[in-house]
Amino acid sequence: MAVQTEPSDVAKTAAVRGQDGKPPVGQHGGNKRKPGIGAAPYLLMIPALAVTALLLGYPLVKNVMLSFQNLNMGQLIQHVTEWNGFKNYQEILTGEDFWRVTLRTIVFTGVNVVLTMVLGTLIGLLLARLGKRMRFTLMVGLVLAWAMPVVAASTVFQWLFASRFGVVNYVLDKLGWHSMAEFNWTGSQFSTFFVVTLLIVWQSIPFVAINLYAATTTIAKELYEAASLDGAGVWKSFTSVTFPFLRPFLYATTFLEVIWIFKAFPQIFTISEGGPNRLTETLPVYAFVEGVGNQHYGMGAAISLLTILIMLGLTSYYLRIVLKQEEDEL
Amino acid sequence: MKRKLIAAIGVAGMMIGLAACGSDDGGDSGKKAGPDAYKGQTLTVWTMSGSNPDGWTKTVTEEFEKKTKAKLKIEVQDWNGIQQKVTTALSESNPPDVLEIGNTQTPAYAKTGGLADLGDLKKEIGSAWADGVNQPSIYDGKQYALPWYVGNRVVMYNKKVFKDAGITETPKTRADLFKAFEAIEKKGDAEPIYLPGQNWYFFDGLLVGKDVSPVKKEGDKYVSNLADPKVAEAMDVYKQYQAFSKAPKDKDEATPQQAEVFAKGKTGAVIAMGYEAGTAIKANPEIKDDIGFFTIPGETADKPEGVFLGGSNLAVAAGSKKQDLAKEFLKIALSEQNDGALIKEAGWSPKNDAMQKYTVGQPAAEAAGPAAAKSGGTTPLIPEWAPVENPPNPIKTYMTLVLQGKSPAEAAKQVEGELNKRLSQQQ
Amino acid sequence: MKRSLFGRIWPNATAIVLFAALVFPVYWMFSTAFKPTGDIITETPVWFPTDVTFEHFKTAYHAPNFLTLVRNSLTVTLLAVAFSLIIALFASFALARMRFKGRKGMILVFMIAQMAPWEVMVIAIYMLVRDADMLNSLVPLTLFYMVMVLPFTILTLRGYVAAVPKELEESAMVDGCTRPQAFVKVILPLLAPGLMATSLFGFITAWNEFPLVLILNKDPEAKTLPLWLSQFQSQFGDDWGATMAAASIFAIPILILFVFLQRKAVSGLTDGAVKG
Repeated sequence: MAVQTEPSDVAKTAAVRGQDGKPPVGQHGGNKRKPGIGAAPYLLMIPALAVTALLLGYPLVKNVMLSFQNLNMGQLIQHVTEWNGFKNYQEILTGEDFWRVTLRTIVFTGVNVVLTMVLGTLIGLLLARLGKRMRFTLMVGLVLAWAMPVVAASTVFQWLFASRFGVVNYVLDKLGWHSMAEFNWTGSQFSTFFVVTLLIVWQSIPFVAINLYAATTTIAKELYEAASLDGAGVWKSFTSVTFPFLRPFLYATTFLEVIWIFKAFPQIFTISEGGPNRLTETLPVYAFVEGVGNQHYGMGAAISLLTILIMLGLTSYYLRIVLKQEEDEL
Repeated sequence: MKRKLIAAIGVAGMMIGLAACGSDDGGDSGKKAGPDAYKGQTLTVWTMSGSNPDGWTKTVTEEFEKKTKAKLKIEVQDWNGIQQKVTTALSESNPPDVLEIGNTQTPAYAKTGGLADLGDLKKEIGSAWADGVNQPSIYDGKQYALPWYVGNRVVMYNKKVFKDAGITETPKTRADLFKAFEAIEKKGDAEPIYLPGQNWYFFDGLLVGKDVSPVKKEGDKYVSNLADPKVAEAMDVYKQYQAFSKAPKDKDEATPQQAEVFAKGKTGAVIAMGYEAGTAIKANPEIKDDIGFFTIPGETADKPEGVFLGGSNLAVAAGSKKQDLAKEFLKIALSEQNDGALIKEAGWSPKNDAMQKYTVGQPAAEAAGPAAAKSGGTTPLIPEWAPVENPPNPIKTYMTLVLQGKSPAEAAKQVEGELNKRLSQQQ
Repeated sequence: MKRSLFGRIWPNATAIVLFAALVFPVYWMFSTAFKPTGDIITETPVWFPTDVTFEHFKTAYHAPNFLTLVRNSLTVTLLAVAFSLIIALFASFALARMRFKGRKGMILVFMIAQMAPWEVMVIAIYMLVRDADMLNSLVPLTLFYMVMVLPFTILTLRGYVAAVPKELEESAMVDGCTRPQAFVKVILPLLAPGLMATSLFGFITAWNEFPLVLILNKDPEAKTLPLWLSQFQSQFGDDWGATMAAASIFAIPILILFVFLQRKAVSGLTDGAVKG
């Protein structure tokens, strides 16, 4: 599966590929005809924009409106609208909970993304080095982990880490760490995050690894040959050929992983519901517990909007790069 | 999940010991015209998973469908996310007609205006119910629900373990009970009691026993009362119990299901609801003959330990278009006969003294009776209470903190902020 | 260049260890599902089930409405993915191949749309659907799932479209094809692997979704499988055999689809689309 790299990257890929026999292709060749004729692009965009506006934009606007309301059980049941200005925001932003959860979410996202990207990249490079049979085997493993539906995977992890009869505790006990025999993984903040992180990284690595591998296969051998003719060693050819080539893929993948991990909800909610003592709540879980769990719907809406803003902040760097590239494109 | 069943059953200040004579709905034909007035209609009833046993459900369905010619659709609800489900359902144009609502939740839902007034029906069929049983269904002087069942905790014990440790008589005082635990501990074959750190409804019973509430009124607001020395005394009793157990201090009785632990036969006792025996037997059928029950003993033999009286009510959605049919259902579901059958089948406590007869042959209900009558109590009967029990319940956190070595005062201070926040949540 | 013995062994050794670590949770799910309860609740784990039982699958399968839920899940998932692919094809073609005003803004819209935290917007969506009187229907679910996967689908397909050499399209047009004809005859076949790969993501997302269906569809006949799985777990609590059987049933369609499509997709990506 391809990541959302810029067309130019893929075009570059194609261009490089073109060296094995076929003429290089890419943006240079095109544009003899004016590509966008009048209304055509807009007509093509209409369905996508319309459904997005209607089914995402409209709920989002509704959500903004709810965030300025005092909306609890009573108001929801009676269909009453009670505007309360910025009170929800004021309460959230002046309380310390929100900031603590925000910081925790950022750290959590950072740790998971770094682990996923580093391990995923290494495995992707390993795939490229393996023989055909071994690569197929490892690919099967990756695909299985990747394909496990999140709800099922979270359930399985609960069973693996169950304090009684859980296989992880058994193995740790047998390895000589006897205090782990009936260890309760969801009993403390750190151990709960450990399990959640393991689950998320396990499920995220395949996407990164397989994409990276797919990208490396499009690097022309000639580039390496040229590099080694120039006397580059393994490391040098990695930094001068492989890495620059993979960089756009890495950017795009990191961007997606940041979004996905930041938004990770079923994993945490299934395993700990944000516990113990609300210590593993990340922003989406916090918004859900405050909004839906405590039936403080207006408050939940406000938190969810702040969550979106924070996510935008975190990804703004990448969004800027992309927009700049778009400018250079076409 | 049973844990949440227990959680939803809240509050029922009840004093069994009132007049008798159940109301019989046999003669009542309703004010509705012809016998076929409801033909072709379907009444939707939401019950919580674990509430309605098969036998009771079958009888009530047959009776209802025969009498009204309408169809009865009982939809068993899962405890996960039930609050948002009930709230949203009540806001819809086509809500379920009848819903089960736990006692702790009832005042909050009554306040929202989503429930219909059942005052007349109460007069018609419920005049004999003990006041305490009915109390949680009343909000602002109006009857918003009708009590369905009530229950309280007992000691479920393993007869064999007790006998092997040389205990021949069931303990009558707390000191007796602790002596028995010591004997079992000494024998070394079994854990005297399995009591995790967060069996909050047992702790609430201890609070009732000390006659202290977890909240107090300050001005027009409710705030934490955990710093009260009497709360600390109750917690100390809990701590003494818990010292006999190896159960985790930061878990409640449902993770793992305490009945399943008990079923292995290596546990002397658990503080449990009567129906949990069924869970144990399902996990290990061989345990069946070893299970016994006794009332949780108090400090003295004449007054059992305080217990939390849990219960659940049936309410009619205000938005239901089948108000009359819903009432027909309630008349049948809550008839003395069917109430009695439910007590027999599920081991709940009777709604008044006259119904004690249905507990005969139900050892759990027999053991529950004395405490319910003499020392039962509730959680605070205020709409503000419901959010407190949303996970993570700060009182459970308090319990774990004390059991892990914090002083009660420190622990109270640590959770007060969260507790007060929940009590002052905007309604 | 000959690699040393060590240099040849370590990648394979690492791969084997990784394979085991990656597969173990999946293996444990299936093996627990087939083990008799006595082999599950035991102090010493049974690594390889010797007695195989279908008891747990029976428990899981006998949940009320099971087949209805399977049908609902399949309907919602397949339709959502199909619709989003069609809509995305148009959009991604425009975004990859055409120059027009507002293009940049549109790309930004879809990138941001990808971040939408759907779980916490459920109440807003619920109120809209309730007021439109569309509760307990599969239609809103299908539509919302479609939009959930649409941004990713558009942005990913755009990459695949761009990778198809323009010359192919142009030469087709020189041969007298109109642009739409060129698209159908030349680009679409080349996009097939891309479409498959992209649809995988849609499948997973729609197949897994539960906060929304939980609140929109209370009618037991209108629910989907993730609800069944999560409720199953809470009803049976510590019955890990039955829970794992349910998880297996839930995972199998996706696993099969993945193994099938992934091979095509990866090989498509590496040999097909980019080579042209």
